[in-house]
Amino acid sequence: MTTDPTSETLAELGATSPEAVREKFAVLQARFDADIARRGSDADEQPALAAEWTGRKAGALTRIAEHWLRPAPAELKRVVGQEFQKLKAHVESVLEQKRAELDARAEAASAALDRIDLSLPGVERRVGTRHLVRQTFDELIGIFLSIGFSVVEGPEIETPYYNFEALGIPEHHPARDNMDTFYIDGSRGNHLLRTHTSPMQIRTMEKQPPPVRIVVPGKVYRRDNPDATHGYMFHQIEGLAVDTDITFCDFKGTVEYFVREFLGPKARTRLRPSYFPFTEPSAEVDASCHVCGGSGCRICKFSGWIELFGAGMVNPAVYGFVNYDAEKLSGFAFGMGVDRLAMMKHGITELPLLFGNDVRFLRQFP
Amino acid sequence: MRILYNWLEEFVDFQAPPAELRTRLSLAGIAIDSIEDSTAGPVLDAEVTANRPDCLGHYGLAREVAAIYRRPMKPLQPKLLESADKAADATRVEIESPDLCGRYTARVLIGVRVQPSPDWLRQRLEAIGQNSINNVVDISNYVMFELGHPLHAFDLDRLAEKRIVVRRARPGERMRTLDGVERTLGPDMCVIADASRAVAIGGVLGGAESEIGFASRNLLIESAWFDPISVRRTSKALGLRTEASYRFERGADPEMAELASRRAAELIQQLAGGQLLAGVVDVYPRREVGPAIELSRKELLRVIGDDIPDREIEEILSALGFHPVRKDTHRGSAGSILAVWECRQPSWRRDVTRGIDLIEEVARHYGYEKFPSRLPAARQPAKRLPHTGALDLLGQRLIALGYQEIVTIPLVDRRRDEIFRSPGAVPAVIGNPLAEDASVMRSSGVVSMVAALEWNLNHGQRNLRLFEMGKTYELRKGEPLETPVLTLGATGLAREKSLYETSRQFGFADLKGDLDGIGRLAGGRWRWGAMTKSWLNPARAGEIGIPDPSTASSSCRPIGVAGELARKIADQLKLRQEIFLAELRLEPLLEAVREAGVLRKFEPLPRFPAVERDFSLVLADGVTFTQVVDAVCALGIPELRSIEAADLFRGGQIPSGKFSLMIRVAFQSAEATLTDRQIAEYSSQILGALERELGATLRAS
Ligand SMILES: [Zn+2]
Repeated sequence: MTTDPTSETLAELGATSPEAVREKFAVLQARFDADIARRGSDADEQPALAAEWTGRKAGALTRIAEHWLRPAPAELKRVVGQEFQKLKAHVESVLEQKRAELDARAEAASAALDRIDLSLPGVERRVGTRHLVRQTFDELIGIFLSIGFSVVEGPEIETPYYNFEALGIPEHHPARDNMDTFYIDGSRGNHLLRTHTSPMQIRTMEKQPPPVRIVVPGKVYRRDNPDATHGYMFHQIEGLAVDTDITFCDFKGTVEYFVREFLGPKARTRLRPSYFPFTEPSAEVDASCHVCGGSGCRICKFSGWIELFGAGMVNPAVYGFVNYDAEKLSGFAFGMGVDRLAMMKHGITELPLLFGNDVRFLRQFP
Repeated sequence: MRILYNWLEEFVDFQAPPAELRTRLSLAGIAIDSIEDSTAGPVLDAEVTANRPDCLGHYGLAREVAAIYRRPMKPLQPKLLESADKAADATRVEIESPDLCGRYTARVLIGVRVQPSPDWLRQRLEAIGQNSINNVVDISNYVMFELGHPLHAFDLDRLAEKRIVVRRARPGERMRTLDGVERTLGPDMCVIADASRAVAIGGVLGGAESEIGFASRNLLIESAWFDPISVRRTSKALGLRTEASYRFERGADPEMAELASRRAAELIQQLAGGQLLAGVVDVYPRREVGPAIELSRKELLRVIGDDIPDREIEEILSALGFHPVRKDTHRGSAGSILAVWECRQPSWRRDVTRGIDLIEEVARHYGYEKFPSRLPAARQPAKRLPHTGALDLLGQRLIALGYQEIVTIPLVDRRRDEIFRSPGAVPAVIGNPLAEDASVMRSSGVVSMVAALEWNLNHGQRNLRLFEMGKTYELRKGEPLETPVLTLGATGLAREKSLYETSRQFGFADLKGDLDGIGRLAGGRWRWGAMTKSWLNPARAGEIGIPDPSTASSSCRPIGVAGELARKIADQLKLRQEIFLAELRLEPLLEAVREAGVLRKFEPLPRFPAVERDFSLVLADGVTFTQVVDAVCALGIPELRSIEAADLFRGGQIPSGKFSLMIRVAFQSAEATLTDRQIAEYSSQILGALERELGATLRAS
């Protein structure tokens, strides 16, 4: 076993000239380099090696400072100091580099072990869903709000007056053929389940002076035997605009705006004359078929057009029921089947799916 | 109505292929659903709106086609070979009820040969969906589909005294109709009778006794006009809808009656031979001259917002039979803003009575597509529903909590509804339901919620959290009352097993936690109280109340209930999982959410650390967490920040009749870090109070 030169002073080692001092330091550095070469890359040995050289109490650098640097005679102080700093810097930087190398190797090794399988599912918090019909209502209302229509609601259990008479549909009117009605037992006013949202046209105009610009979302009822496209209940959104200067051209522009917003900028609109007791002139609003784009297919019965909803200019007779001046006012109204619009847009062919609330259906519209 | 392309061509020369005709008719207001081929040529399926009875025959539709293509109508002039004998000598017609029958014409044919129809007639009828019976019956049908006017042929020899009396049915009068059904008639019904009995129901259906058969020789052809409302009432009362009633109830053309009769006589002579007695017996008590109607350009511009040239207006109105005549003093100047046309209502267009009706006629034939599009000026701000913000917030929160929104049909089963109905509530029962399971408007949202849970459980979906924002319905003193409600339903697992987590059942605490999450939106001030409902498990049910804004005190207004479905009801409905339900009235809830949003104020964040202390208490059964909290709060410790329930158990070292509750109390000062001495002092105060008030002891650890 070689004696440890750092436990003796330089004088004791016989190094009394600057050259001799440098040589002693060179020997130490060579020994450090040899140690590093032998043990520096070994993860188990490296901490001990670092302690031997840089340990605060008994490390070689501490001992050199104590035994070589402190007692050095004045004439050698400078050279010993310089050599010491050089050695210290070398030792520390090499050790640091080795430590970094080892850390990197360790991380790489552990990464190989811990790597996650990206194809495994994460932990998904189970959130709920908004019902498709309500999503559709939101969309429709948003479109009409953007052009100045306010939202109002009304009762589902109505009187025959609001549901029929004030809309120009007296008791024996053939238009009632399409509006088979549920009646409520034991009510005072011969109440019924409203067959459309149109009664709110009357209720709104009774309550407020013109101008009026409203949409009315809500449930409506028909006494139809349920099938793929009919049920006891469906949803409508009614629209009404009345002012001193509203014309058929405004009606047309509004409807076209709606169709483009709802079905996309490529959708074309066609107004087809029709008949409703409370509008005149009346129209069915068709949009170019979203399936074939207008060239004709099974869905549009080869006409290129899909019927969206009924609408028209407010029949002046209606103004008579609400004390509006029919000679000064004009307006338009529309009533859309919301479920139908949702079904059309999403390719749903069975109305009962909408109200069956099977969660597998609900989840398809997150 | 099914329309034969070739048949239309007999009345107008329009020269357009069927597909084009389809589009043009649709754009003029006669929707054509489809085109099919038949042995009699292309068939168009026309949807005729309720205001256009004139289009329920080929001739009337041809008038629309003529107006569309601006082609003249071919004249309709039946050629008759009349004998010297007069019809008026062979029969007599008397109208006793002119309010029900405005016109009655009768023609008489003698010695006809009733036999099968020729091919062309049979094919035409079959193409439009009518069965061929015999030549005479087929001809009356044919003329109805041609001219839109229903006719009826009687076997003259079966009419007592060979005469016709149009009258009200006698009370209890009975008659067997052509369909073989014996019917009892009412005094509001119009019957065609002979000298002794009813032989037809006017405008609805003929009687079996006077039916034309192959043995019939002598005929009376009825072509009449019946009152629309009367026909509609009668047809509804008898449950008898016929092609004839369909036309009369919409309003047939009284002037067409005589022409239709002539046309039928012409065809019968051609196909069945016989001798046509001269003239027609025509009783016409309600002859009306169509009123004059004005169309002004000023009104047209006001309603349409765009102009239509004079020539177009005049051509369209002329083609449709309105005979427009300029009556203003500016007749010379085309396009004058002061132009006014006086028109005459034709007998087949009783629906047109006002200027606006003429504007519609002109606009639809001019073409809606020719008018420009505009967006109307908005003069008012667009307003959402008052509580839209709160409603959206609520919905979003529930969705974030894992609830799926449902939308249901409020018509429900009456017995089901009863289970969940509040005692004393009067349901809105449907007087004319189509099915027992949709015979009442629901009294609660829970009834629909349970049905939705049930559906899903029966379809293999076991872990459910659903909500609905809907209404409940009832009658209060005979007036309907609709109340918006929020309904929650949950069952199955609160957390499903995954790679990383174990599963956990949904329990009452989950429902309560979710509701308290909602409560936080409403200012976090709602209170749970005990209550019982017949449909909720009494051990796991509670009432939710919110502070009453009308009183300053701490009194609460109940807004809803929550709990577990009672076992006996779950069993009755065959629901094997625990079902959790809640129903809250939406109006007070939304108002509270809105108000909380307005009142919400910032609280400074604490600058000094909080200190927590746990107390493991042993309490007698029946002591509630709220009592513990109240006892601690009553001390009025200013640095007390929160009290949480940290652990709860029974059994083990805890003697029976007692339970262990660990509470975690946090202290925090806004001014300084609390010292150990202060905390120790508070702790002993708390223990003292709990011992004094609730008999609590510290659990030996
Ligand atoms: Zn298509």
